[in-house]
Amino acid sequence: MDDLQFRRAILADPKSADQNSQNAEILAALQEDETRKQFAQDINNLDSKIREALTIPVPDDLSDKLILRQSLANHQIHKRKTRIHLALAASVAIMGGLLFNFMQFSSAYGNLGDYALAHVYHEETSFANNSKSRVTLTALNQKMAAFDGNFSESLGKLIFADYCRFDGMKSLHLVFQGKTSPVTVFVVPKNDQLDFTAKFNDEKLFGESLGFKHANVIVVADKNESLGQWQKGISDNIAWSI
Amino acid sequence: MMTKQVRYEALVKALHGDLYRYAYWLCHEKQVAEDLVQETFLRAWRALDSLKDEKAAKSWLITILRRENARRFERKRFEMSEYEEATITDTQALSNEQNIENNWLREKIAQLPPEYSEPLVLQVLGGFNGDDIANMLNLNKNTVMTRLFRARNQLKDALAAEPESKGVYNG
Repeated sequence: MDDLQFRRAILADPKSADQNSQNAEILAALQEDETRKQFAQDINNLDSKIREALTIPVPDDLSDKLILRQSLANHQIHKRKTRIHLALAASVAIMGGLLFNFMQFSSAYGNLGDYALAHVYHEETSFANNSKSRVTLTALNQKMAAFDGNFSESLGKLIFADYCRFDGMKSLHLVFQGKTSPVTVFVVPKNDQLDFTAKFNDEKLFGESLGFKHANVIVVADKNESLGQWQKGISDNIAWSI
Repeated sequence: MMTKQVRYEALVKALHGDLYRYAYWLCHEKQVAEDLVQETFLRAWRALDSLKDEKAAKSWLITILRRENARRFERKRFEMSEYEEATITDTQALSNEQNIENNWLREKIAQLPPEYSEPLVLQVLGGFNGDDIANMLNLNKNTVMTRLFRARNQLKDALAAEPESKGVYNG
């Protein structure tokens, strides 16, 4: 290492001439010449002066100020955060409420047929085919008025006629006397909640739906009945106002 | 939450002095230096979780401070260069010989071009080696070493040319 290199190295980093420096090259160069040692010493002295000059006094209260400002800023953020949390909690509550509503009032059945069958089975025991009770055509038409419909003559022996909930919709539930078991007729307002199924059946019952302008008429009966006849009877007999 | 607070306070206590001095030598104004340090620590608080290695804290803070300083110039370019920098450096009470010498040297350091004084401050005050400084300033190590050499060389020459009697002439 020549003199110029040595001086450059020392000026760039005076510490490299320290006893415990990692720079073996500099240490070796240092041993070669007394004037180099002197130079290194001088520059180290210069460095102490520089350090002293650089070490300007730090304001006493600076660290306290820093901590104070941070706590204030943090407090603000914290306040903002609690507001966000509140908003989140409120949103979750609303979502929960909506979900609850949805589960409560949405149908478990995908189409008219399935629901109609389930409805008939549910009330199977309430109606006996040989029941003596009769509903008059007038009483029936009074109820049909809610659906803007009217029967011109009776379709058969009407055992029962009343409003009921058909998947949450107000509808008319009619039960006629059939050959072996009651025949059920539903008059259901048009609605997209359930898919329209023209024909449906299971091992015991079968049914057909007729779509009219304002309502669907669904007939469910056991397999001894002629559904076509019932359908025809309804189509011929029913009149819709407007 | 509490541990973050404790970490932060420890960080402030340990490093605010170094950071303030570094800021001062960047901008040569006490008030601006203080503002820079405050901004830096606020940013540091927000990002404290990203600081994994406590040993890297100092260079991390200095990096934030340099960015803050650069932002200062973006914001208010018009405020600079109203005065000659050397005239607004620290003029503490000249109570003794040491102080006079310090002040004289401070002026000389303040007169160094910033690209020379910055690595010098990092090396002497910050205790960083050439590699660290090169990393922080986005320079290569040779450039840093050359600048350090030139900075010291200029100060050495200035000291050698130092007038015999400095300070106030009376009579």
